Amino acid sequence: MKKWISMGVAAALTAGALAGCGATPKNETKQEMNLFTWMGMFPDEVIQGFEKETGIKVNYSSFDTDETMLQKLSQAKGGEYDLIIADDYIIQTAIEQGLVAELDKTKLSNLENVNPIFQSQFYDPENVYTVPFGAGVQTIVYNPETIDFEITGYEDLWNPALKDNLAIIGNYRVINGMALKIMGESYNTENTATVEQAGKKLLELAPNIRLIKDENTQDDLISGEVGAAVMYTSQVTLAKLANPDLKVVFPKEGIGLGIMAQFIPSKAPNADAAHQFINYILKPEVAKQYFEHVGYYSTNTKADELISEEYKEFLTLPSDFSADKVEMIAPVSAEIEEAHVKAWTEFKNACGQ
Amino acid sequence: MNKHPQKAKNRGYWLTLLPLYLFTIIFVGAPLLYMLVLSFLQRAETWGITGQFTFRNYAQIFQPVYLKTFADSLKLAFLSTGIIALIGYPFGYFMAKLSPKGKKWMMLALMVPFWTNSLIRLYGWIIIFRANGTLDQILMGLNITQSPLKLLYTYPAVVVGMVYALLQFMIFSVYSSAEKMDWKLVEAARDLGASPLKAFLTVTLKLTLPGLLSGVILTFIPSMGLFFIADILGGNKVVLVGSLIQDQLVKAHNTPFAAALSVVLMLMTTLMIALYKKIAGGKELEGLI
Repeated sequence: MKKWISMGVAAALTAGALAGCGATPKNETKQEMNLFTWMGMFPDEVIQGFEKETGIKVNYSSFDTDETMLQKLSQAKGGEYDLIIADDYIIQTAIEQGLVAELDKTKLSNLENVNPIFQSQFYDPENVYTVPFGAGVQTIVYNPETIDFEITGYEDLWNPALKDNLAIIGNYRVINGMALKIMGESYNTENTATVEQAGKKLLELAPNIRLIKDENTQDDLISGEVGAAVMYTSQVTLAKLANPDLKVVFPKEGIGLGIMAQFIPSKAPNADAAHQFINYILKPEVAKQYFEHVGYYSTNTKADELISEEYKEFLTLPSDFSADKVEMIAPVSAEIEEAHVKAWTEFKNACGQ
Repeated sequence: MNKHPQKAKNRGYWLTLLPLYLFTIIFVGAPLLYMLVLSFLQRAETWGITGQFTFRNYAQIFQPVYLKTFADSLKLAFLSTGIIALIGYPFGYFMAKLSPKGKKWMMLALMVPFWTNSLIRLYGWIIIFRANGTLDQILMGLNITQSPLKLLYTYPAVVVGMVYALLQFMIFSVYSSAEKMDWKLVEAARDLGASPLKAFLTVTLKLTLPGLLSGVILTFIPSMGLFFIADILGGNKVVLVGSLIQDQLVKAHNTPFAAALSVVLMLMTTLMIALYKKIAGGKELEGLI
C-alpha cells in the first residue's frame, strides 16, 4: 500500500517536473490534484481555499453519470485521477475491480467529524476505502394547498385522490422499492416472486402518475403541474427554498438512503494531495460551505452545528430520525435486476395508458 | 501497352475513394459488428459482460412487456407519420406551385427554426402546454375553458412534438418531387376530359408518389427512435424502444440486451426501406432537394 503511494508521489513529482519544464519553469514543485466528480459539487471558495492553504492546484473534471465515471476509471486502469466522488453502489463495483486504493488514515486527522450513521455501509463495511461526502434520502414532498389530506407514507400515494397528480424520479430501485417497503420487504430482496409482487402493487399506482423525471423534478411541483412528488434530497432542498409551504414527508414505511463518497483510485498520481483534500473538506467550516452549496444531507456532525438556520431543515437529519428505519439500496444479482427492470417497464407502460 | 494507363486511372479512382471506405468501415461497419457480437453475449453479475454465447437477450424481447414496447413505438410512428403526411403533402404540393420568390421565402421560413437546437424548440412546447401556459391563457381568455387543462405530459402532447420535429422532412421531399413534375401532363389530362380530382389522382399523385413515400420513410424511421420527445413532452410515460434501450444501458447496465434491442430495431427499419424500394420500383430515396 505504502509502496503504491510513494510510487504515486514519485510519479506525480516527475509529471510535475516535466510539466514544469514546458510551461512555468519557476514553479517546478507546484503540485496538482485531479478531482473527478459531477459538475458543480463545490463552491469556488472551497477549491480556492484549499489551493491557497496547500499550494496544490485542483484540476476539476466532471462526469454525467456514475457509469461514465467507472468506464473512464477502468480505461485509465485506476490512474489519472487522484480523487473521485461518486455514488455508493458504483464504488462497490470499483472496489471489486481493484480500482480503489486503501486510505491512509494517519493523514486524515479530521475523520472523527464524520457522522457514524453514514459509515460502515455495504460498499465499504470496514471504512478502509471511502469517506462519505454527502447523503440523500428519497422523500415525498407535497403541496398542502392542493392536496387536502395528510401524506405520511408511501401507502398514501396510492390514494385515488392523487389521480394524475404525482411526479416521481425515474429510478426503478427507488420506485419499485416503495411497493417493497409497503409490503414490509427489504429494498435488496433476492426473491424474484417478491419483486414481481411489488411490480403488481405498483401497477395500481399508475393512474396517479403524471410524470417520471430524473432531473429538475422539483420544477413541476413548484409550478403546480403536480401536487406531490417523490424526489431526491437535492431536489427537495430546491423545492423548499422556492416554496417554504411545501411539506416534506419521511415515509413511515422506511427510507432509502444514498451516500456519495470520496475515494482515491488505486494508481492515483498524487494520492498525498488527495488525502490533504479529503482532510481539508472534513473541516467543519469547509464542510458547511459545500453542504449549503450542493444541498445534500450533511455527513459531518461538527458541520451540522454550523449550518445556517435557512438550510438547517434540509441539510441535517431530523432529531427523531432513527438509523434503523433507513436502508441503503445495494446492488442485487443480475436475475433480480432483470425482474426489477421488467416490473418497471410494465409500470411505465401502464402509466402511459 | 494500351491497358496500362487505364489501370493507373483505375487505381487513382480507388485511391480517392479510399478515405470514404475507410471511414465507413471504421465508424459504421465496425460499431455495427461490435453491437451484433455484443447482442449474443451474456451480461456479467454487476458490471460488463462475460464471453459466453447466448440467445437469451433475443429470447427476452419476446416477453409481452417488451413486445408491447415495440408495438407502442410502431403505433406512435404510424400515427405521427399519418398526420405528417396529411399536413405535409398538401403543404409541399402547394409550395411547388408558388412563384420562384415565394418558394424562396417559404423555404427560408421552414429552415430558420432549425437554426435553433431541437431540445430548445421542444422546451418551447412545454411553455405552451404547461399549466397556466400560453395555450391555457388563450383558451381561458377566450372563455373556452374555465380552469387550466392538463395538456403537458399527455399522449397528444407527444404526437404534437413528433409532428413538429419531423414535418419538414415530408414537406421537402413532396416539394422536390412536385417541383420536378411536368405540369403539362396535368393540363393534358384536363384537356382530355378528366375532372380536377381525377387528374390529381391519376397524374399528380402518381408522379409525386416517390416524394410522398420517401417523406414517409424519412419521418417514420426517426420517429421510431426520437424517444426524447416522449420523455420531455410525455413525462416519460410513453415507453418507446429508444427509451428502453437507454434504460438498459444507463440504468440496468445490461449492454447485451440493449444491443439485442438495437439490432431488432435496425432490422425493422431496414425492412421498411426494403418495402419502400419494392413499392417505388427500386428507386433511391427522393433527395432532400
